[in-house]
Amino acid sequence: MAYIELKNVSFSYPDANQPAIHNLSLQVEKGQFIVLFGASGSGKSTLLRLLKKEIMPHGELSGEILLDGGSIENQAVNTGFVFQDPENQVVADNVLHEMVFGLENIGLSTNEMRSRIAEMVHYFDAENLLNRDTHELSGGMKQQINLASVLLMQPDILLLDEPTAQLDPVSAREFLNMLVHLNEEFGMTIILAEHRLEEIFLLADSIVLMDKGEVKVQGETRQVLENLWRNPPFNKYVPSIPSLYLSLGGKEKLPLSVKEGRSWTQTVEIAKKDRTGWAEITEEILNAQNIYFQYQKDDGYILKELNLSIRKGDFYALLGGNGSGKSTLLKLLAGVLKPERGKLIFRGKQLKAWKNKSLAAEIGYLPQNPKLFFIQDTVEKEIQDTLEQWGLKNEHEVAPLLEKLGINHLRHNHPYDLSGGELQKAALACLLLRKPEILLLDEPTKGLDPLSKDHLADILCKLNCEGVSILMSTHDVEFAARYASKCGMMFQGSITSESEPDAFFSGNFFYTTMVQRLFRSRSDQQIVTLEEAVELCRLRR
Amino acid sequence: MKSRFEEFHPLVSFIFFVLALSLFILMIHPVFLLLGLIFILIINITYRSIEQLRQWAAFMIISSLFIFLLNPLFNERGRHVLFVFHQHRITAESLVYGGMSALSLVVIMAMFVSYNKIMTPNKLLFLFSKILPQFAVLLMLTLRFIPLMKRRLDEISSIQLSKGISVLHGPLNKRVKTGLLYVQVLLTYSLEEAIQTADSMKAREYGKGLRSSYEYFKFKKRDGLALVYLLLFYLLILSGRFNGFGHLTVYPIMESWQLGTGDIRIMVFYCLFLGFPLLIELGGYFRWRILN
Repeated sequence: MAYIELKNVSFSYPDANQPAIHNLSLQVEKGQFIVLFGASGSGKSTLLRLLKKEIMPHGELSGEILLDGGSIENQAVNTGFVFQDPENQVVADNVLHEMVFGLENIGLSTNEMRSRIAEMVHYFDAENLLNRDTHELSGGMKQQINLASVLLMQPDILLLDEPTAQLDPVSAREFLNMLVHLNEEFGMTIILAEHRLEEIFLLADSIVLMDKGEVKVQGETRQVLENLWRNPPFNKYVPSIPSLYLSLGGKEKLPLSVKEGRSWTQTVEIAKKDRTGWAEITEEILNAQNIYFQYQKDDGYILKELNLSIRKGDFYALLGGNGSGKSTLLKLLAGVLKPERGKLIFRGKQLKAWKNKSLAAEIGYLPQNPKLFFIQDTVEKEIQDTLEQWGLKNEHEVAPLLEKLGINHLRHNHPYDLSGGELQKAALACLLLRKPEILLLDEPTKGLDPLSKDHLADILCKLNCEGVSILMSTHDVEFAARYASKCGMMFQGSITSESEPDAFFSGNFFYTTMVQRLFRSRSDQQIVTLEEAVELCRLRR
Repeated sequence: MKSRFEEFHPLVSFIFFVLALSLFILMIHPVFLLLGLIFILIINITYRSIEQLRQWAAFMIISSLFIFLLNPLFNERGRHVLFVFHQHRITAESLVYGGMSALSLVVIMAMFVSYNKIMTPNKLLFLFSKILPQFAVLLMLTLRFIPLMKRRLDEISSIQLSKGISVLHGPLNKRVKTGLLYVQVLLTYSLEEAIQTADSMKAREYGKGLRSSYEYFKFKKRDGLALVYLLLFYLLILSGRFNGFGHLTVYPIMESWQLGTGDIRIMVFYCLFLGFPLLIELGGYFRWRILN
């Protein structure tokens, strides 16, 4: 008998036309590591929530959910749940309070709490964090504290809903490694919903693709990936190394990791890359010189000695860890914050000399949290408000624009009812109406599934071709490598390295693509993206 | 570096401040109040809260001046008429009484500055969680929420500024309208996000059964001794106070300011009580000097 068993489970939210989960059956053995993936809105979160009775959503449920052989209602299986947003699941203002919160709820004695915490803090190496305020921590640290406070409850099953969606590549890797340890050393049953697939497919015992509330494919990683490859559009979910292997027509055991891939690349012929000529150097539109910035006097500088230059038609990707100052830089460039020292020049004129309104017309800033972008309660009203505010007459352009972005049917919805990707597109629509010269995007790919990401990329590339310059901060290395024309690395408040993607990623160890890692030792030229690799490599006959 | 007094159990610090507050209200005598002020100032210096005290200084001076001047204006009682102003008698008694009230106010405000420094929210939370566990959770959430809302509001206004919407520019009615929209966004957003916080609380078994509370502070022997010390001297002062010492009677007949032997004895206890934190620090300092 399986440890967790769902039998023909259907679930619909009140007032929903379609069920969120439709006739779903799934079995999970004790100690398994399962990865759920699929487009947003495919029912991953709902499925996870159904497995924890305390946070089971309201709605109509049919079918049977069994835990350890009994119905979930009366089974005392201890389940831990880690949510997507690192910030919102924090309850207390101080790390120690946060950690003991759950333990207090189950009424443990102080002595027992002390010993559990001592152990856990040691395991997480978080001693120096204990007395810190929670809001001072970076997203990665916060998420680790969240995991720690769930683990303190000693769960048998751990459910995680896109826990690394907001983390930088290094923190995400650290977090996932921690899960693997828990799974291997303590036999904890883990079910993880995730978009960031490159790394976790390796770790899972079994992977499950969900589509429209159903389990589409399920099974051992290699089989599922091969299956997906034959079923577009789901081939988008196949990570780059197996993707490369399959598109070259490999027939043997599918390589998943860089290690497995390396030995296989020995058998591959690599053609010489045509060096396309340098792009012409265009006029500079945004320039930052020697910028210093701090939020509070005693906090130390968030940005220091920062220099940046954006030319017309650039698609600039800014990478760097959580808290390295990317968002702050974008705010400075958008004219929302003022630098303490240094000059910001936009189109030959100092930023502070621009009137706020005329600056906002030229620079479109998409915040990291697009929810706060909307001040009206429907998308339609927000658009009307924008038109009115800017005295725009191009109302006839609204419908085609929304159509192009694929959100025309959502016009009358409340912004908070949209999914992350839709919300971003809606905010983007409001920005594009005022036809900005340059777009500043703060982590636009955060929490997007591969399909929406491709869609966003199409939109951005089109805009870029039309002459809009783009500066975006991102954690998504693969995305940056594929679409950006220039990449920069933020570290300790300044841009420490900057070049075209090829050169940029070749020097990095963590901040680089899987394909680059694969060919790192192999060739004297740099192969960074999957597309390049597919084009250049041929299987040796 | 944490001082020794700050390392006492929160109950000790809390009792010290509550009792000191009651002394500043009960012992209305110029000499006692001046002594109290000196002690509180030294305590503020010792616990590095002098900077905060300076921020409050203007408010303290103005409000005490206000009380000092208002009392003689409204109160004509007393035998020693200093002068008559528009048929209004200004008496020495009313001036003395006003002065003492003003001084008492200053001492109490100065005490709250050091109280804030020593009784951190964490300690207060701990004390409350003993008596009212549910209230403590509420307090904890609030403690996180107030700065969080502030940060969110900043975020909203900066994002809206990037859209060219601002509460700082434009005609007044438009600014008010924008401001209200900000608050509306702040509230909807916070409610929306709070659902996730609530889920996270429920996922960690909140509200399932009886809550226990983590003891951040252990009540040690020296905390007990400190409490005995404080209560002993407080009771001695109190018994003296009820026998009429340590208090300047102004109405109907003003006493002499001269301190009698009974007053002096009470004053020594008073000093020993208020000087408790300083004695602790001094003791610690000497012990450290001898050891090194």
